[in-house]
Amino acid sequence: MKTADLLADDPIWLIIIKVVGIFVYLVVFTLFMIWLERRVVGRMQHRPGPNRVGPFGLLQSLADGLKLAFKEDIRPVLADKWVFFLAPVVSAVPALLAFSVIPLGGEVTMFGERTALQLADLPVGLLVVLACSSLGVYGIVLAGWASGSPYPLLGALRSAAQVISYEIAMGLSIVAVVMYSGSMSTSDIVLAQKDNWFFYLLPLSFLIYLVSMVGETNRAPFDLAEAESELVGGFHTEYSSLKFALFFLAEYINMVTVSGLATTMFFGGWYAPWRFLPFGLGEVWAGADTGWWPLLWFTLKTLGFLFLFIWLRGTLPRFRYDQFMKLGWKVLVPVSLVWILGVTAVRVMQREELSTTFKLVAVLIGVTVIVLISFLIPDRPERDTTIVRTAGSDYPLPPPDLRVPAAPKRRLAAAATAKLPSATKEDGDV
Amino acid sequence: MISFLAQPGGLDALQAPEIDYWAMAPLLIVLGAACVGVLVEAFLAKPQRWPVQVILTVLTFAFAGLTLGLRLTKDPKGLTTVAGALSIDRPALFLWGTLLALGFGAMLMIADRSVEPGGSFVASAAIRPGTIQDRAQAGQHGMQTEVFPLALFALAGMMTFVAANDLLTMFIALEVMSLPLYLMCGLARRRRLISQEAALKYFLLGAFASAFFLYGLALLYGYAQSVKLADIAEATGGTDRSDTLLYAGFGLLLVGLLFKASVGPFHTWTPDVYQGAPTPVTAFMGACTKVAAFGAILRVLQVAFKASSWEWEYVLWAVAIVSMAIGAILGITQTDVKRMIAYSSIAHAGFLLLGSIALNHDGLSSTLFYLLTYGFTTLAAFGVVSLVRNADGEATHLSQWAGLAKRSPLVAAVFSFLLLALAGIPLTSGFIGKFVVFRAALAEGMGPLVVVALIASAVAAFFYLRVIVLMYFSEPAADGPAVSVPGAFTTAAITLGVVVTLLLGVLPGFALDWAGAAGFVF
Amino acid sequence: MSSVFVTQAVVDAGPVSMGEQVAFYVLGTGSLIGALGMLFARNAVHSALWLVLTMLNLGVLYMVGQAPFLGFVQIIVYTGAIMMLFLFVLMMVGRESSDSVVEVLRGQRLAAGVIGLGFAGLLVAALVRSLTQVKPIGLAQPNAQGGGNVANVGKLIFTDYLFAFELTSALLITAAIGAMVLAFNEKRRRPAYAKSLQQELVEARFQGNRPSPLPGPGVFATANSVATPALLPDGSVAPESLSEVIESTARERLDPDLLPEPDAHALTAPEQREGES
Repeated sequence: MKTADLLADDPIWLIIIKVVGIFVYLVVFTLFMIWLERRVVGRMQHRPGPNRVGPFGLLQSLADGLKLAFKEDIRPVLADKWVFFLAPVVSAVPALLAFSVIPLGGEVTMFGERTALQLADLPVGLLVVLACSSLGVYGIVLAGWASGSPYPLLGALRSAAQVISYEIAMGLSIVAVVMYSGSMSTSDIVLAQKDNWFFYLLPLSFLIYLVSMVGETNRAPFDLAEAESELVGGFHTEYSSLKFALFFLAEYINMVTVSGLATTMFFGGWYAPWRFLPFGLGEVWAGADTGWWPLLWFTLKTLGFLFLFIWLRGTLPRFRYDQFMKLGWKVLVPVSLVWILGVTAVRVMQREELSTTFKLVAVLIGVTVIVLISFLIPDRPERDTTIVRTAGSDYPLPPPDLRVPAAPKRRLAAAATAKLPSATKEDGDV
Repeated sequence: MISFLAQPGGLDALQAPEIDYWAMAPLLIVLGAACVGVLVEAFLAKPQRWPVQVILTVLTFAFAGLTLGLRLTKDPKGLTTVAGALSIDRPALFLWGTLLALGFGAMLMIADRSVEPGGSFVASAAIRPGTIQDRAQAGQHGMQTEVFPLALFALAGMMTFVAANDLLTMFIALEVMSLPLYLMCGLARRRRLISQEAALKYFLLGAFASAFFLYGLALLYGYAQSVKLADIAEATGGTDRSDTLLYAGFGLLLVGLLFKASVGPFHTWTPDVYQGAPTPVTAFMGACTKVAAFGAILRVLQVAFKASSWEWEYVLWAVAIVSMAIGAILGITQTDVKRMIAYSSIAHAGFLLLGSIALNHDGLSSTLFYLLTYGFTTLAAFGVVSLVRNADGEATHLSQWAGLAKRSPLVAAVFSFLLLALAGIPLTSGFIGKFVVFRAALAEGMGPLVVVALIASAVAAFFYLRVIVLMYFSEPAADGPAVSVPGAFTTAAITLGVVVTLLLGVLPGFALDWAGAAGFVF
Repeated sequence: MSSVFVTQAVVDAGPVSMGEQVAFYVLGTGSLIGALGMLFARNAVHSALWLVLTMLNLGVLYMVGQAPFLGFVQIIVYTGAIMMLFLFVLMMVGRESSDSVVEVLRGQRLAAGVIGLGFAGLLVAALVRSLTQVKPIGLAQPNAQGGGNVANVGKLIFTDYLFAFELTSALLITAAIGAMVLAFNEKRRRPAYAKSLQQELVEARFQGNRPSPLPGPGVFATANSVATPALLPDGSVAPESLSEVIESTARERLDPDLLPEPDAHALTAPEQREGES
């Protein structure tokens, strides 16, 4: 039975239950995610992270959230009253809305009613997510504009340009998936990945989606809209209290949504994590894809992507704006276009009953073209490292081959600590 | 994994529509050349672009003309192709030929770099007018060679426009031909602000007119449940549909078309844009856009709305009268040569509309012929305008043209001849054009309209003759303009226009035969 | 919310159901309010936002009309991309830019209002009359055939409207060239950082004449404009403090004839100086 038909006869109480369930799922995920991020980044920086409130500090984000709600709500004098109020709402609502089309699981029975773990299944499910993400940007852009101060405005301008650029790459990365699954409906895409997951069938699409999903959600290393070292807080500089909390919520829900979409499109959605293995290994546990188990698999896969977000934030420095734009327009978009062409060619060759010679010739031509184009790419001029550089002015120039001298033995320190017997052993290591 | 790859995806394979590439070849060549031109802009160094673009353009017109000629010898009647989107019939081929010839002339003027050192296009349009950088670039000899692919795109749009067999294709063709024109209007080397103002006005009003066209299209779709001209024609034959949708849709559609043809009360952009745009672009617009717009009007009226003609005929009568009156009367008051020709073009649009309303075979062939004659005359006239210059660029004010015959008898003679052709004096193509159009209109029983047209022609002749009198019988001003000696390109364009004007005035037979070869195919 | 509507619309078999009617009146009112708000809002950004409301309502209206693909594409393309670019430009221009309400042609606003209302009235009357004669068909049947709504749209694009679709590419190329022609300035010096590595930048700076940053403008010394040049200790102008980009930099200040004699009072405000003398 198709998911759309399963969902079509949902009674209204079931829809309400699902809506509430998804809302809770997202909010809990957000609270957990904030905690996880602080813990993981802390671990990456050799510090414990929050570990006092609740077991392992799990309740830290709840406490922070409560505190945030009771803070003073400030509106700058120059702010545009209504738009300033509207912006956080506009940012949060589409974020929540987008998750309604993500399939969390297959067919289940809830209170005697057969249904699917998904709120809505549209024939254009993927477009719903794209539309919501494009609406969510309004929140950021309007927030920056309505604050009536320069830093938020700069953040908003950056964000507008950023999202438009990366939405193109994201949309293009989806095309190949749609071509392979023959549908834009999210549930059909999951079903199409019963035996083969798209992340290895369409590796380039997956990579491009991965990059653009970070760009879409304004996360490090692409968090130029709120770059704290350049723009104070970017678009939310002037926000406080609950309005700020809404932005925060929207950002994390967006992360969950794009991760969920990545799972749906490339990692087999709610199928068990070993489902794509060959030689019958995928079917070792037949019951894994039925009932409520898929919810667990989906959540685990999504968590994997969320960990990636944290990992990126802990590792990479922020991009410069022009580099960022260059990556989007000069790398991701052209590569996607060429990749789509290639995928289409392969699809056509599979479909049509073509002779092997024809296919071979076609592949040969393709390879030749790629090689010829690669000749056209100019080499980066090699740096001549032998030249000794001198200053062109009267200012003193540090030696270009400056090498940091080895640290001298800490005689004084050693002498000072010599009095303590316990320290003498470590002295030799310094 | 292999089993999955072989999976068809659950959808049936598409049946691709049949495409007759040979019939479409002239259009495809122009479109393809425009794309190649873009690549030239992208990959060649600045100094190499101009020569390469010129060679590319010449080759394009040669090949497009060649394929068109081959087509003419082969197919007697015409066909529709790409799922009926394009109708490549005799009128379409005639208009393609006209457009290619006029386009070639205009492209020669665009490519010219001798009249104005470096060409009449700005070296770098991104520099704000009036700034230090702008004054610095005035001395440079480069130009934005993007004009070449843009003009080719516009030409391709026009060619599609006259051959479009459904309203959707027609709308997109309308945009394809308009968008490059908006851009090119704003790229003048001299008087950049007035040029940019012209571009902006043209763009805003043009977008508005496109919206009208689209709204009309939507209503007509509601009426006929199809955008194909043939289906609309069929629907107008039946009676059980809502006539309000038909007339509202038709009216709005027509507003968009009449705007492009700068007819009657929809002309307000014409003088400003003609004046502000670089003269080669004005020539291109004046000649080719008129041909394309009237080609489309002819097709829409004759194919889709012939059956309902008794309902809208008198509305177009009124429009034609208004157009002729505005063109003739306001033309008298003009003091700028380019504006004067603009108003003359509005009057001519009225005459052309006369032929278009005459929904018979003569109406079609006479309007096609008129378009041919008018296009070449206008092209040459703007070519001459670009030659009369002073230190600030073109000297377009009429007072500066006083006594031109004493300084440059040849240019004055050529311009007088062209003005006489515009006025419709015998032995010029203009006379034959008017004659055949009026004859076709009379045959359709449009006597009163022809009388109005004759009066308008007489009034319009006054301001053409005034310029001739000014050139021959006035004393030249002391600091008057000089006439540049044109380079090969502009000379060729003007010669082309003048020769065709004369030839069609003396020996119109072959062109009339060609124009009347066959009707529309849909 | 929208998804519920769509699901509903797909399920209903009849041409115009009750739910559809309710949705129409809600969305129609919304889009009308948005359109009027766009017209009457004084602030350009507010105008744009009202237009966004209209477009959103139209998008949902399409979904209710059983064209989900069109509806979502409307939202993605119009609200997501086009209006976002609008906002981008409006914000670049500045938040204080609101419409000038001065009438250039006298009576034009009145005439435009009357004619516009008349035209709208005429069109609405015509449409209302014609709609009583038109039978609604709905998309339920075509949507059920083939691969559904999306696949059928795709099929039409690549068969019946193939040429129109391909021709659109010419339009897009033209638009791209247009943007390049009007905005891309080749003559502008490329910023050094655009191509170099950090190390090359450091070396270039040290090999140049000035390893340190340029002096800032004289903001807050006598005025709060960045076009104000910084003054050197002797009261003369530091030319390097002036931005090359700001062309309107008070040139007369740099003109040697107009420059003030170096004196210690140059830093105080002019009226103060006059009061002293």
